[in-house]
Amino acid sequence: MSKIGQAISEIQSLETISKEDRRVNRIHPLSKLILTVFYIAVTVSFHKYDLPGLIGMAVYPAAVFMIADLSFREALRRLRVVLPLVMVMGILNPFFDRKIVLMVGALPVSGGVLSMLTLMIKAVLTVLAGYLFIATTPIEEICRALRIIHIPKTFVVVVLLIYRYITVLLSEARRITQAYQLRAPGQKGVHYKVWGSLVGQMLLRSMDRANDIYDSMQLRGFDGDLRTGEKKALTPLDFLWPLLWGAVIVLLRIFPVVELLGGLFV
Amino acid sequence: MSHIHIDVENLNFSYENGTPVLKNLSFRASENDSVGIIGANGAGKSTFLKLLVGLNLNFTGSIRIEEIPLEKKTLAKIREKIGYVFQDSDSQLFMTTVGEDVAFAPRNYGLPEEEVEKRVQEALEKVHITHLRDKSIFKLSGGEKKLASLATILSMTPDMILLDEPSVALDPKNRRNLIHVLNEFEHLKLIASHDLDFIWDTCNRVVLVNHGEIIADGSPEEILRDGELLDANGLEKPLSLTGR
Repeated sequence: MSKIGQAISEIQSLETISKEDRRVNRIHPLSKLILTVFYIAVTVSFHKYDLPGLIGMAVYPAAVFMIADLSFREALRRLRVVLPLVMVMGILNPFFDRKIVLMVGALPVSGGVLSMLTLMIKAVLTVLAGYLFIATTPIEEICRALRIIHIPKTFVVVVLLIYRYITVLLSEARRITQAYQLRAPGQKGVHYKVWGSLVGQMLLRSMDRANDIYDSMQLRGFDGDLRTGEKKALTPLDFLWPLLWGAVIVLLRIFPVVELLGGLFV
Repeated sequence: MSHIHIDVENLNFSYENGTPVLKNLSFRASENDSVGIIGANGAGKSTFLKLLVGLNLNFTGSIRIEEIPLEKKTLAKIREKIGYVFQDSDSQLFMTTVGEDVAFAPRNYGLPEEEVEKRVQEALEKVHITHLRDKSIFKLSGGEKKLASLATILSMTPDMILLDEPSVALDPKNRRNLIHVLNEFEHLKLIASHDLDFIWDTCNRVVLVNHGEIIADGSPEEILRDGELLDANGLEKPLSLTGR
């Protein structure tokens, strides 16, 4: 399968996972959205040298991966494009902040190295939290949650259409590159001389297609508001899930849980 | 006398660069008609159908759907009455699963969820694809996509359906299935196609269009057996009538 085909297939498989009938998937999207935003906000609020505190925050994604029965390896595979980028963040810190702030045995650790590590961990944890949210909530439900908190209709519809448009764009890209490869069998990749026309064609075609899709939506009564079906009654779990996790996150933020636990073994 | 559902008078339409597509076209269709709009590539068939659902309002002349003049302010009302099936099913289907896509229109019309469920089930049953309800749109075959597209508009319970080249890319079995489904739909149908065998199997009236003008309007017997007329307009007699 081509790389574009793989990308389409991954989007589809993520959608399939998000629609599976699991307990976490059934939780109200707003509960999950609030919890995710809260977790991300708390995670990024840690001090740049507070590595033990941040490690404690890994409890949430680790537990949700288990409760939702999601594959961590699969998540890493899906995030393989994003993770190296987030790992690059803070890579220059060791050069700017050389003050020794920690001794690990006889090994001195500079503030720059520590802040680089915390930045990387923050990035990984927040990306994982986002992944857990989208892997357990279909896009329509995410948009519904956004509407509930009064995010403007136009913005929410744009989010949904962009999401749909990605697949349209990728499908067109696949068709065009397949047509190219069939007529340039000896060519590895796409020759730079045809990049311009190929990208131009792809955009024009995908715009046409996107326009047709929008027409199709309008012909079936779409008026800019998204209706995603039955409004499920709220269950106790919809409240308990964010409240319990919220409490755990606050505890992890206030108390140095990892250090305290570590102290038990020293 | 049958109730007039579509009434088009002196319809003219040109592209933005001034190229005329439809010229002074007048046309009427009643509730029991099953009209095949035939013509060679570029004759104006698809454009005509698109104008009927108001996908472009830059025309002159008049279009009335069930007595309602087609204008910007009446678009929503008119579109509730018409189901339009796109030539390319990939342009029609955009939700994640077949069931979600079929439910899209009834939900937009504000129907209660029990009614939505009923409509979805009925539409899927009509086109015999209930087993595809939870299947991802991306994983459907060409024939399944076409039937799913039809189900998405049947769930609107439209008074009329317009189909643009419905038989394109269908294998014989799916083609036969689609013919059967269309023949069971008892309301007005407009089918734009140059697949004259398909038109022969589904329509009780044929309108021949060439260069944006209506050249002939009559029964399938009258028009589809007229080899000279078809030939002069870039078409050929249906294979089923040539005895080959």
